[in-house]
Amino acid sequence: MARLAEINKPIARWSVLVVALIVLVATWDLARKSLVIGTVSDAPLVLAAIGFALLYRLTGLINVAYAETVTMGAYIGMWVNTTFELNFYFTLIPTIALTGLFSVLTYFAIFRPAKQRNVGVVEMIIISFGLSVFLRYGIQFIFGFEFRYYDVPVQKSLRVLGVGVSPFRITALVSALGIAFLLIWFIRRSRLGIQIRALAGDENLAQVSGINPLAVTVLIWFLAGVAGGAAGAFYGVNTSVRAWLGWDQFLFILLVVLIGGARGIGGVIIAGLATGVVLSFLELMPGLNTTPVYAQVIVIALFMVILKVRGNRLAEAGKV
Amino acid sequence: MNLDWLTQYVVTIVILIVTTVGLALLLHLQMGLAGIGNFGIVGFYGVGMYAFGIFLVHLPWPESWGMVAPVLASLLFGTVIAGIAGLLVGWLIVDLDADGILLGTLGFAAIVYGLSQTNRTWTGGAEGMGTTDFPYDIGTIKANTLLWLGITTVVVALILYYVIRVHRSPYGRLLIATGQNEALARSLGKPTFRTKMVMFATGSAAMGLLGGMYGVMLHYIRPVELGIGITLAAMVGLVLGGQARAWGAVVGVVLVGVLFELVFLIWIPFPTEWRRQSLPVIREMLYGATLILVLMTRPLGILGRMRRDRTVRRPAHD
Repeated sequence: MARLAEINKPIARWSVLVVALIVLVATWDLARKSLVIGTVSDAPLVLAAIGFALLYRLTGLINVAYAETVTMGAYIGMWVNTTFELNFYFTLIPTIALTGLFSVLTYFAIFRPAKQRNVGVVEMIIISFGLSVFLRYGIQFIFGFEFRYYDVPVQKSLRVLGVGVSPFRITALVSALGIAFLLIWFIRRSRLGIQIRALAGDENLAQVSGINPLAVTVLIWFLAGVAGGAAGAFYGVNTSVRAWLGWDQFLFILLVVLIGGARGIGGVIIAGLATGVVLSFLELMPGLNTTPVYAQVIVIALFMVILKVRGNRLAEAGKV
Repeated sequence: MNLDWLTQYVVTIVILIVTTVGLALLLHLQMGLAGIGNFGIVGFYGVGMYAFGIFLVHLPWPESWGMVAPVLASLLFGTVIAGIAGLLVGWLIVDLDADGILLGTLGFAAIVYGLSQTNRTWTGGAEGMGTTDFPYDIGTIKANTLLWLGITTVVVALILYYVIRVHRSPYGRLLIATGQNEALARSLGKPTFRTKMVMFATGSAAMGLLGGMYGVMLHYIRPVELGIGITLAAMVGLVLGGQARAWGAVVGVVLVGVLFELVFLIWIPFPTEWRRQSLPVIREMLYGATLILVLMTRPLGILGRMRRDRTVRRPAHD
């Protein structure tokens, strides 16, 4: 039976692709709009998911407080942008560096001590959940409830395939893909990348072969913070900055990483973009009359079923 | 007996604390025994609350039924719906690892929250829906609320009794074994999936009942009630009290609830502005910090290790 299913797999895959193509052609106008809007508006989600996936795949940690790394990225970016009156693109560089440092700080303050105490898996998730709550309400305590905005000039929207798009969203998409490919290259090809993968595979063996586990782990956390910070800055400039920004996205980050993460960073990118496209498709579909909340409900339910059908096959770590 | 200190507001807070004790007890079964970290408690609680409200408001109840029967029937309906939701979510997640469970339970809570805001004709949307007054009248509002507190306490006491019974039963030992080493339990021929499903569904149904009962107290249910606060409060209480012990939930939630909800927010005379704005935020910050500190320094909470019953502690020699 299993072999028959194995043989049928390509056939099943092709028929799915053909059906998808037919749907695409039949509903071209709708598909065009949702492709553009979905891809472009969910680029920060892809960035955030890449950072989360780095931590998840390489350190085996589900870090709920990663949501607050994203929020910190938005706030730090807004602070740099409004204090020094810098152009948004220049603010990105200090922002991602500072957010990376913040991410390393959470590692040293919480996750490293927790790991040294051999905290269990569920307990680790609860600790990160506690940190997430603490940081989120801490940010709310300091900055208050009101929404804040970046100080950027209003920009003329560009037209892509006949759909108006803000330039920031295009940059977000380009830099999301750019950072993603840089990371893939870094982890697959560079010397440090090999060390990262070695550490994820077998910590003791890596240590014996002269890798400094602490330095490499700090690097992973820094890179995750960089991706999260960039995501936060783009979320912030596209909409508004608020304490719940990261938490509102966290469920989708988790969905994208658990669904796409089994196939490495490429899978995360595809799952992230697909989420955006499906969400905007559901919102734009005439007759369905779906509100954004409703579309999100459908997507969450869909992904939960996918997770069940596929089983949670966690591929062994270190194959990003 | 002078009950002046016991204002109407304090009584409603005590009802909230007692309800949270019930939720934490059920979380203890799921997380403390079976190792299923349920981050979507508020989802099941919310399903119970809204199913109760919708059933009560939208059904044409005959006059002759009086006030009590419709409320009881609706509570039962809410419990059953929450149980069915528990079966569905349980089927989706209980055989996944901790990551999948986090995703499934958080996702379920988000779905319930989303659905409570849409579907205006059924749920009243973001403004919420008025449900019912207490299904009895024994005098003042305070007396009525006190009676409801008594009823809630009885229900929670029954849940506590059930949890203690589970600890001492073969079913409870199977749950503990499944939580600690599922592969081993399964290799001994135990139906671990079914055991976890049964536990998850009954736990969810009971959470739904508590949600419906809290809905009666509220008289008016809104999506705001389904924020992360309830899940957090139950989890902090359970972790602090001791997640491996039946009494852990009671000790922890009562401690946290009395300290933060009553002493901190009502009895210490902070300026009113603080009470509205900053104190609730500080409370949630302290909840988060408590989770971290307890799990880092004393993972099993105040009460500590699980007390095993005699058959486990001292194996038979013959």
